[in-house]
Amino acid sequence: MTSPAEPPRKNQGKDLGLTLCPSCQQLMAHKKTHCSRCGSTLAFRDYSSLQKSWALLITAAILLIPANIYPITIFTSQGQTRHDTIFTGITHLIDLDILPIAVILFTASILVPILKIGGLTIYLLAISFRLPISKKSLMVGFHVIEWIGRWSMLDLFVISITAAVVNMGQLLDAKPGPAATAFALVILLTQVAAKVLDTRLLWDRLESKDDTNGNTKSS
Amino acid sequence: MTQMETPKVVKKKLFSPIWLLPLVAIILGFWLGIKSIREAGIEVRIHFPSATGIDVGKTLVRYRGLTVGKVVDIGIDDELQGVNVDLKMDYRADPFLNEQTKFWLVTPKASITGVEGLDALFSGNYIAIQPGGGQSQFFFEAETDAPAMLPGSDGLVIELTADTLGSLNVGSQIFYRQIPVGKIISYHLEGSRQILLSAFIKTQYTHLVKTDSQFWNVSGLHINASLSGIEIKAESLSSILAGGLSFSSADGSKRAENGHSYRIYDSQALAQGGIEFTLTATQSNAASTGTAIVFRGINIGRITDTHLTDTGVEFTAKIDKEYAQLLSSTSHFWLEGADISLSGIKHAERLITGSIINFSPGSGEPKQQYPLLEIAPDQDAQSKLLLSLTAENNPGIGIGAEVRYKQLAIGKVNSVHLNQALTGVEYQIEIWPEFTNLVNTNSYFIPESALSIQVSLEGISVKTRDLSTLTKGAISLIQGSSRTVAKNHAQLALFLSTDAADDYFDRLNQFTLSLMSTDGAGLSSGSPVYYQKMQIGQVDKVNWNSTNENFDINISIRDQFKPLVKTNSVFWRNSAITVNASLSGIEIDVAPIQGALKGSITLGLLDDEDIGSQTHLYESKSLALAQAKPIKLTFPADVKLAAKAPIRYLGHKVGAVERVTLNKDLISVSIDAYLYGSYAQHFTQEDAEYFLVDAQISLAGIRAPETLITGPYIGVKPGVSTQMRTQFIGKVTPVIQAKKDWLQFTLEDTNLGSIKVGTPIVFRGIIIGAIDAYQLADTGNSVQMFAHIKGEYRHLVNQTSQFWDLSGIKIDVGFFSGAKIETGSLESILAGGVGVVTERQTMTSNMLTSDASFTLHKKLEAKWLTWAPVQLSQK
Repeated sequence: MTSPAEPPRKNQGKDLGLTLCPSCQQLMAHKKTHCSRCGSTLAFRDYSSLQKSWALLITAAILLIPANIYPITIFTSQGQTRHDTIFTGITHLIDLDILPIAVILFTASILVPILKIGGLTIYLLAISFRLPISKKSLMVGFHVIEWIGRWSMLDLFVISITAAVVNMGQLLDAKPGPAATAFALVILLTQVAAKVLDTRLLWDRLESKDDTNGNTKSS
Repeated sequence: MTQMETPKVVKKKLFSPIWLLPLVAIILGFWLGIKSIREAGIEVRIHFPSATGIDVGKTLVRYRGLTVGKVVDIGIDDELQGVNVDLKMDYRADPFLNEQTKFWLVTPKASITGVEGLDALFSGNYIAIQPGGGQSQFFFEAETDAPAMLPGSDGLVIELTADTLGSLNVGSQIFYRQIPVGKIISYHLEGSRQILLSAFIKTQYTHLVKTDSQFWNVSGLHINASLSGIEIKAESLSSILAGGLSFSSADGSKRAENGHSYRIYDSQALAQGGIEFTLTATQSNAASTGTAIVFRGINIGRITDTHLTDTGVEFTAKIDKEYAQLLSSTSHFWLEGADISLSGIKHAERLITGSIINFSPGSGEPKQQYPLLEIAPDQDAQSKLLLSLTAENNPGIGIGAEVRYKQLAIGKVNSVHLNQALTGVEYQIEIWPEFTNLVNTNSYFIPESALSIQVSLEGISVKTRDLSTLTKGAISLIQGSSRTVAKNHAQLALFLSTDAADDYFDRLNQFTLSLMSTDGAGLSSGSPVYYQKMQIGQVDKVNWNSTNENFDINISIRDQFKPLVKTNSVFWRNSAITVNASLSGIEIDVAPIQGALKGSITLGLLDDEDIGSQTHLYESKSLALAQAKPIKLTFPADVKLAAKAPIRYLGHKVGAVERVTLNKDLISVSIDAYLYGSYAQHFTQEDAEYFLVDAQISLAGIRAPETLITGPYIGVKPGVSTQMRTQFIGKVTPVIQAKKDWLQFTLEDTNLGSIKVGTPIVFRGIIIGAIDAYQLADTGNSVQMFAHIKGEYRHLVNQTSQFWDLSGIKIDVGFFSGAKIETGSLESILAGGVGVVTERQTMTSNMLTSDASFTLHKKLEAKWLTWAPVQLSQK
């Protein structure tokens, strides 16, 4: 079959009828359904990834609520058990005048997940609704989120290490609370949400910022 | 050929399945939200007296180790009487929070029995909860202590009662075969006398507690010190220090229900199951709680309780189950302590352990009550041989003395007492069943002497027995020859020695005689009877016979000597020593020494034709052989007769005085005398006369001068009567023993003058006769003098004779006639005399008659001197 009339000055693969295998990066004609090398399913643009990303993001946003409401650590010291949510943990640290740790904890456990969810929301909104956001700031934000996202696991890392190391029964004990699971899921889901998103859609959006982005449907 | 790929028409999906994820998250979130609301917890307020140990946020509420709540706030109550503790309870605790739910504070408690609530050391004190029923409620009053029933523990709660708490305490363990199976969870005083303890038995051990289980205190150490060693028993270290209980159960019994009540005994011994009954006694001397009941040396039970009653003491006793069948209606219980005697200490351990109660089984149905006896009952009275022994006196045999056979105990003396007649001692003895055959009908017993010393010429032998013989005495059985075994209650003899026994049996082969003696003759029971210096018998008894005022001497003579006792046998008493001194030499006859000491009797034989008396005991051999016949004379008290004084007839000894006794009237003496057998018949006529012959010294001479040396004697004048008698009244003046040829007559004078008995009658200076006696005439106006003329001179005196008094010297002094002195013989001067002259020749016609009487002239007439008739001798 011959492709329909193609715009001549397009420098995108789709303009050239080419597509990239998502697995082995082989350049293929976009008419092919499967990669000739690795047999992966080829897609010219994965528009469903937007939905997936949205779903995951929303899930993460929902889980952010229990992650902050429920205690994330159950800390027992000399028979006295403390149930700390993320926030009370930070306030406790502030009470204890350990401000730097409190800042780090605040950043990693509260700021980063919120920023990440917020950032991703903005991107998804930008893709879905073509928000008028400058291409440059989107690119910067994207890199920041990607970089900062990995640090949000710090909190979980600390908890898991503490839970493993501090285990002296009634004397001194630390256990992850139910919020830890939720928090971990928030982090995981935002990561997955960022990963699953077909960033080409964003590039399309950035490209078509200059010209018309009328090609939203493709097989 | 080219194949055309059919275009794949992919329908655009409206929704990706990924949207399920937020959905799930939302649902999850909702669920979590609802759950957290639901599980938010229940606010409960508990009122504690004090908040000590309770911390907000730290103190948890636990049920079976599960945290079900938490203290969230503590505040003082309105009345300032305590604290209100606010709890946040787990929502799951909701069903527990009812009216009867109990809350109490658990604090770590380290006690001897264990560490309790150790978890609370780390978790802090916690509040325990015991769910209960009733209406739902949110305000509670805290319990001060853990409730009796352990919360949530499946197990058995039983009640125990005790008089004293002892060292038991809450937490004291309960052991079953030294395995802790439970503990005491509470105790309190029930009334004012009893302590009620609650005990908890763990589930896995509940089957061990039966309805008839016995609980006893194992607190502390049980030290059982006896002679067999010291036994120290303790259940466990905790029971030593904190007390404990142990119990035992029978296999077949029913399992105990919750709340079953038991009694706590002081020791295992007391607790052991068994048959309970009571023993009654008047006093609780040696028995007390714990005193063992022993049967054949095996403990079969014990006294578990002692209490006073109105009449005495009542013991509650128990016999172990396995011995329960021994108990019967005829069982006996008696106290037995240590037995200290010289023969040793029996059951010395009882000195330390105290007395025991001995038991003897019986037959029949068991009773509920038995008397506790002080001494052992006669257990095998049936099989024991009971004998009664008689003895003359008690050789020191006491109650309990052993009865021996070959120095082996075969029985014992049960009682010693005087017999009813008070003449002897009676013993009740028992012979133990296995020895009953040893005793036969003619067995006898002799006392064992603890120390017997036999001295003989061969040497000295000293025999001793054991010490118990010395103190209590012992008797030995001497078997008899009989083959018949003695029956129960037979009467046997106890002899003082084997010799006595031999004597006794000898006596059975003896015949007895009774001898009559005027005195006891120094004889006593056992004095020997000899024949030819050989003992043939002995004196049995010497009795005073009041009817004939003599001593009856009973003698027995062995059968083999019976032929010796015949008509010519006589018995006499032996003098210890007889010295017969005469010119032909000195004969000393010494009686056998035994006879000399005890007095003895000799059996002698007279000539065959003579007939001796077998009923009279003679004073001496001579008397006996002379067949002396006893007579009794009565004399005035002033006679100087003594024993051995002879009885003479015309100077011949025909008898002898045996004894002189002053009569009670003090004016007479009784004289026992013998007449020699051959003469006796001549001097025992009714009219025989006995008189005193004493020396009479006068100027005329000495009459009976021999009596000066031998002492007065008794003269006798035979009678002519045919009537015989043995009692005579003696006379003080000699009876004229007129000779047949004597010429007897009477002289009369107004005055006796110097005439005396014996004053000679002188004829021409020759004494031809004498005055025999004189007396005052019945009329009182003259004196009668009885005179005789010797036979050969009788013809010189006839009716024509004249008598005058020759006495003294007649001095006739006349103024004119001068002095004239006329004397008779010297004798007549001294002793006086009677002169006689006869006028005519004696003829038949003028012979004197028996009652002839003359006047005694004062003086001679001159004419009489011229008379000189020729007298013709009648011979």
